[in-house]
Amino acid sequence: MQSEATDFDAIVIGSGISGGWAAKELTERGLKVLILERGKNIEHGKDYIGEHSRSWNLDYYGLPDRELIASDYPIQGDSYALMASNLQYWNNDRLNPYVQTEGKPFSWKRADVVGGRSLLWGRQTYRWSDADFKANARDNIEIPWPVDYKEIEPWYSYVEEFAGISGQEEGFEHLPDSKFLPPMEYYELEKTIKKRVEKKLDEVKITMGRCAVLTKAHKGRAPCHYCGPCHNGCSTGSYFSSQSSTLPAARATGNLTLLPNQLVSKLIHNEQGDKIVAVNTIDTVSREKRSFSAKLIFLCASTVASTQILLNSASNIHSSGLANGSGALGKYVMDHGMIGHMGMFVDHPNMYFKGSRPNGLYIPRFRNIGQQDDDADFIRGYGYQAHCIRPDWQTSFNQKGFGADLKESLGKPGSFWIWVMAGFFECLPYVNNQITLHKQKTDRFGVPLVVTEFEWGDNERKIAADTAVQAEKIMRAAGSLYHILSKPEQMSVGGAGIHEMGTARMGDDPGKSVLNKYNQAHEVSNMFVTDGSFMTSAACVNPSLTYMAFTARAVDYAVKQLNEGQV
Amino acid sequence: MNRRELLQCAALLTAGSGIVPNTWALNSEQRTFLASRGSYLDRVELTFFTSDQRAIVAAMSELIIPRTDTPGAIDAGAPQFIEAMVAGWFNDEERKHFMQGLASLEARANGYLSLDAKQQLQLLEELEEEASDADWYRMGNTMRIWDSAAPFICQFKELTILGFMLSETGSRQFLQPNPMGAFDGSLSMETNQRVYSVQSPMRSVSLPISTAEDL
Repeated sequence: MQSEATDFDAIVIGSGISGGWAAKELTERGLKVLILERGKNIEHGKDYIGEHSRSWNLDYYGLPDRELIASDYPIQGDSYALMASNLQYWNNDRLNPYVQTEGKPFSWKRADVVGGRSLLWGRQTYRWSDADFKANARDNIEIPWPVDYKEIEPWYSYVEEFAGISGQEEGFEHLPDSKFLPPMEYYELEKTIKKRVEKKLDEVKITMGRCAVLTKAHKGRAPCHYCGPCHNGCSTGSYFSSQSSTLPAARATGNLTLLPNQLVSKLIHNEQGDKIVAVNTIDTVSREKRSFSAKLIFLCASTVASTQILLNSASNIHSSGLANGSGALGKYVMDHGMIGHMGMFVDHPNMYFKGSRPNGLYIPRFRNIGQQDDDADFIRGYGYQAHCIRPDWQTSFNQKGFGADLKESLGKPGSFWIWVMAGFFECLPYVNNQITLHKQKTDRFGVPLVVTEFEWGDNERKIAADTAVQAEKIMRAAGSLYHILSKPEQMSVGGAGIHEMGTARMGDDPGKSVLNKYNQAHEVSNMFVTDGSFMTSAACVNPSLTYMAFTARAVDYAVKQLNEGQV
Repeated sequence: MNRRELLQCAALLTAGSGIVPNTWALNSEQRTFLASRGSYLDRVELTFFTSDQRAIVAAMSELIIPRTDTPGAIDAGAPQFIEAMVAGWFNDEERKHFMQGLASLEARANGYLSLDAKQQLQLLEELEEEASDADWYRMGNTMRIWDSAAPFICQFKELTILGFMLSETGSRQFLQPNPMGAFDGSLSMETNQRVYSVQSPMRSVSLPISTAEDL
């Protein structure tokens, strides 16, 4: 197989949040960039075919086609973001399977399109602080982060100013403010809850969710029009996605080539084993095998997929996987655990709303801040994402009665509000939570299947239990009439948080980590990994903003190194 | 999207992407926005029920959601939706269960359509009374995709409500779509405030978690 197209300066593998950012930053620095994306092409606007569709447009009015879900989307099918109107974005689990270790389930949510999960993400964006970057060192858990907040802070600002983050400045030390566009508006009930809770519980603060959805025009993108389901795609570009934001910026430089339908099977290194000289691909449609080369390689295929590529690139020099001298590759998989609690409120029965707000409230972590709480039998902590719902007929159609009375009753708003508090908690890195390759089974392209193995630990179970204890306090303070708290065993299965990370962690010690502090592989100087796999710990906040910041920073470093002849 | 359309869509989306994919695009015929496809009822072919069964289903659904000062089940095409669901969405067992329920109603009435409206309603009320302890009526038994074990009368009511509330007529002439443009969370309710119509049914999210055994 001949290597082709060597006039590219950099190859970016994957076009999701990290890949899009890598491409933007590289092209804007004058590099000729090739993006290789396994998924099919989705053009901004034109291909968002489910946008603004209504129930009556959809087959079976949008009720899930159970046969199709069971056969083709058994893994993706339980995602909150999967709808009859956006199936085109999701991985087909029948065509692209993986293997879960029995009794240790891991639900791998994947997109299979240009833009990746940037089209489907929850858009919540929170900075880390030193409470997070220094957590491993303080607790003596695994390895310390090689960076601190001060180093990353300017890069957070940099990516936020481009992406457009709406939110409220609060000055919380452990949840630093971003460069904000105005926050979204509250439901009346949320105002009441915030007032009551902050008065009665000193430690608990409530703020508007910080999200990558525009509240005013920003860099040629329109503010949110509050239509509701972002996950169908947004032709006004009101939420950050590769399509709405980074890919157009990269294209505008004239330096971008994007190839969809290109599955990267393997990275090939030079004789010394310290540089990648070729990226092998398989065309997912024609099955044609090709090979591309460039000076820099940015691996941004998403945590599990990037790990699969590195493991499959094992060679005589890198016998247990590329850049895996430490043995850390594939291990320490983390996700955020989720657990929901709900309360019923009879306040404001005669208040209603207009528009569909794609965002909720956020209750920042208040456990184990600064020091270990006396009453906490766990380390680290969690935040709550909270949502306000006015129930409708969908939760009460199973009534008795017939005729005009039933009809009128179905049309009325429920007599109460529901407020859901979803705890998102930190997961510790465990060596046995891992991604490996199947020894016999391969996919339809001949690439070994991913095998997942994941279990929550004792600390996660204790945190999950604490989310219920604290939720009860908060619900009471908020004035809930009646609340239903989940038990720890009802927490999400691994992977379902869709924040999988940690399998190629960064660290100062090449004996214990895959990447250095600039996301550069310790052992392969022209390879940078900037998707979730670089994460050394998980914190409890949504991670995408952190991937953006580290990606931009890694490109800045890589290009400087390249120009100095160091790569 | 059914499987056939999904496959077509996937085929279109993966077709013909070459080395310079920025020039590649679906042509306007190929790229059909779901929102511009009109109503599902206008494109689904209905051949499952007999004309008698159709008439019974229509009469029953109209008793559940009658025309008042707003359209009723028949106006909204709920009977057609029910037929489409029974024919295409149900699995074999569910279909059998439903058709048995319909047949037994017909037998019990000794000709349902020969009854007057009052008698027809009375029979439905009797069925509901007999089913009154069914799990279907339990609070919270709504956040699932389908209750396959529910008595016929419950399933029929559920299909009618879905077929009415999710239809274009029900969504626009009984309910109103939530207006887009801005968000206002402090709006006083109107007299006789109705809920907004649904964009995509909430139940589409709840599916059992898959595990290794499924693979």
